[in-house]
Amino acid sequence: MELGLASSPSPAWSMPADGVLIRTVDLWKTYEMGDVQVHALSGVSFEIRRGEYAAIMGPSGSGKSTLMNLIGCLDTPTRGEYWLNGQLVSDLSDDDLAYIRNREIGFVFQTFNLLGRATALHNVELPLIYSGASAEERLARAREALDRVELGERVHHKPSELSGGQRQRVAIARALVNNPSLLLADEPTGNLDTATGLEIMALFDRLHQGGNTILLVTHEHDIAARAHRVIHIRDGKIDRDDRIR
Amino acid sequence: MKSETTSRRNRTSFWFTAREALGIALSELRAHKLRSFLTLLGVVISTATLIVVMSVVHGLNQYIATHVADMGTDTFIISEFPWTMTFEQWLKAQRRNRPVDIEEYDFLRDTMQASKHIGASATLSLPPPAHYGNQQIDEVVLNGVTPSLIDIGQTEVLYGRYITDSDYLHRSMVCFIGHDLLTKFFPNTDPLGKEILVRGLPFRVIGVAKSIGTSFGQSEDNFVQIPLTTFQKIFVARPQLSIFVEAWSSGQMAALQDEARELMRVRRHIPYSEADTFGINTSEALMSAWQSLTGTIFGATVGIVAVFLVIGGIVIMNIMLASVTERYHEIGLRKSLGARRSDLRMQFILESSVLAGAGGVMGILFAIILTALVRAVVLPASVSLTAVVVGLLLSCLVGLFFGIYPASKAAKLDPIEALRMEG
Ligand SMILES: Nc1ncnc2c1ncn2[C@@H]1O[C@H](COP(=O)(O)OP(=O)(O)OP(=O)(O)O)[C@@H](O)[C@H]1O
Ligand SMILES: [Mg+2]
Repeated sequence: MELGLASSPSPAWSMPADGVLIRTVDLWKTYEMGDVQVHALSGVSFEIRRGEYAAIMGPSGSGKSTLMNLIGCLDTPTRGEYWLNGQLVSDLSDDDLAYIRNREIGFVFQTFNLLGRATALHNVELPLIYSGASAEERLARAREALDRVELGERVHHKPSELSGGQRQRVAIARALVNNPSLLLADEPTGNLDTATGLEIMALFDRLHQGGNTILLVTHEHDIAARAHRVIHIRDGKIDRDDRIR
Repeated sequence: MKSETTSRRNRTSFWFTAREALGIALSELRAHKLRSFLTLLGVVISTATLIVVMSVVHGLNQYIATHVADMGTDTFIISEFPWTMTFEQWLKAQRRNRPVDIEEYDFLRDTMQASKHIGASATLSLPPPAHYGNQQIDEVVLNGVTPSLIDIGQTEVLYGRYITDSDYLHRSMVCFIGHDLLTKFFPNTDPLGKEILVRGLPFRVIGVAKSIGTSFGQSEDNFVQIPLTTFQKIFVARPQLSIFVEAWSSGQMAALQDEARELMRVRRHIPYSEADTFGINTSEALMSAWQSLTGTIFGATVGIVAVFLVIGGIVIMNIMLASVTERYHEIGLRKSLGARRSDLRMQFILESSVLAGAGGVMGILFAIILTALVRAVVLPASVSLTAVVVGLLLSCLVGLFFGIYPASKAAKLDPIEALRMEG
């Protein structure tokens, strides 16, 4: 199957000359728990270039999800700088962050996070609603995205009528539907059996081949091994950064 | 570069969000029918009350306007009681007022020079039955009248003639019948000269009245009029009269009423410091009393409706707050996909408006049924489009207003914290 997924950033977001998509500088996230301060992240600095396929690994509680949420603009750092596409994101307003989440980022969650009462098609349409696409455009692009994840036959099914792997594919279609610059996945196979997890990983491989920039969190070495780069995190710091290929 | 991209952003489709909110609100309604009904009870009651009152008052207004206007603005009626009184006045009048008798009528007729016409009528308090052949009407309104009453325009002759001075003088056993008796007794025959029996006594039909119609669901054409003198001879020796006085013009009305009042007071020897022991009634006074009554009704209605709307609104607000809490996960999810605060605020405000609007629709249906019942039983009433539109708008507005707080609560949620809630 031809996955014509040449990443097509909107022209206004001109690529920085060095091809860097993500740059974090000394990123901190600190939670105040009564008198105690919990440093979920303590000074993370790294770069991801456009077209890269990177995995984040680390023990439980090391700060992987916290980092993903910051990169996904779902959360803001306590300290430090986060540049996305040459733009300083760490001090943007709420609405501007919503815009970036809508256009620049596709987020895939471990628990799928689909709307239970809505059909697959409607779930995939949601990001387009918030970008103000017309009804026909929404429908066309949502169907196209579902075709890409090979769910063209299941558009009118509700999540409860789909298998776990199919649900995650709906979530991936939703993440792709606005042609984001960056695909984030926090343990996308964590709730799936091994075989289904492999199917999903094959889909990520194809998306990467199609030009998408992918950053995913995983616990499993053979999944991380599919990426070109593995970033190891421990106690909120980057422990090791291995380029595999 | 940032401002450039931000300004390029399209607005979220309002209609899509509206449709989505409608779908969600309706499926919530369907899923919890009883709970929703109870939730919306306040809005249902207030909308229904508003529409029913508006409809009844609207219908009564039309009735009063057409029927009271029949009496004309140049005529007033002297009778035992005024038509409009406060409660204290009513209590006092019950003690002091005396019926208007035939001597007083004769006195006024002979003394009042300035009136155009003067007439009198008395009504038998227990409506008697009437017969013709084997046909029977259980109850007819029996009036004893003076011949002059026809000139004052209470009734009109369809054919035949009205009661004449000669009938009056000779206490003739003649009658002038309402249109209902014509259709019931003489569907195919000429009634003139025929004898009908009223409470077993024979009266010769001399004329038939034009149809008047119905009021308060009762026919106005079911009457028999006989000379007042005959009425005295056969039914009531000392009848209680209503005296009809017609002025030459409406400009003369006040002076003529003053004259009639003075004459009545003199004849009844009412001291200067005492109030009248009779009533002088005009259509105008009735109209203004009616208007102040409708004003009071409207005031009370506005109060009731406002109270129920506020109660209904608060209940809806609570349900919406519960709905927001139940849907933290969904809210977080929508935020993670790029929904702005304004998008979520709009979604929940619309949902709350749709919910309240559904209550409004229920209230409207209720009101239509109630109004139909009212119309069937007692009063003229018709649901006006204005009332429906006002009711619907008002209920939606209540939903909108009381949705603001839950909606802004939803809008302010932190996406990460909201997503962490179980969906
Ligand atoms: N909202 C919060 N309030 C307080 N502490 C928090 C909060 N969120 C995360 N933490 C803490 O921050 C640290 C990092 O959490 P995070 O969820 O990023 O770990 P993780 O690497 O994703 O772990 P896992 O592999 O189990 O998902 C943990 O110690 C956690 O307790
Ligand atoms: Mg995690």
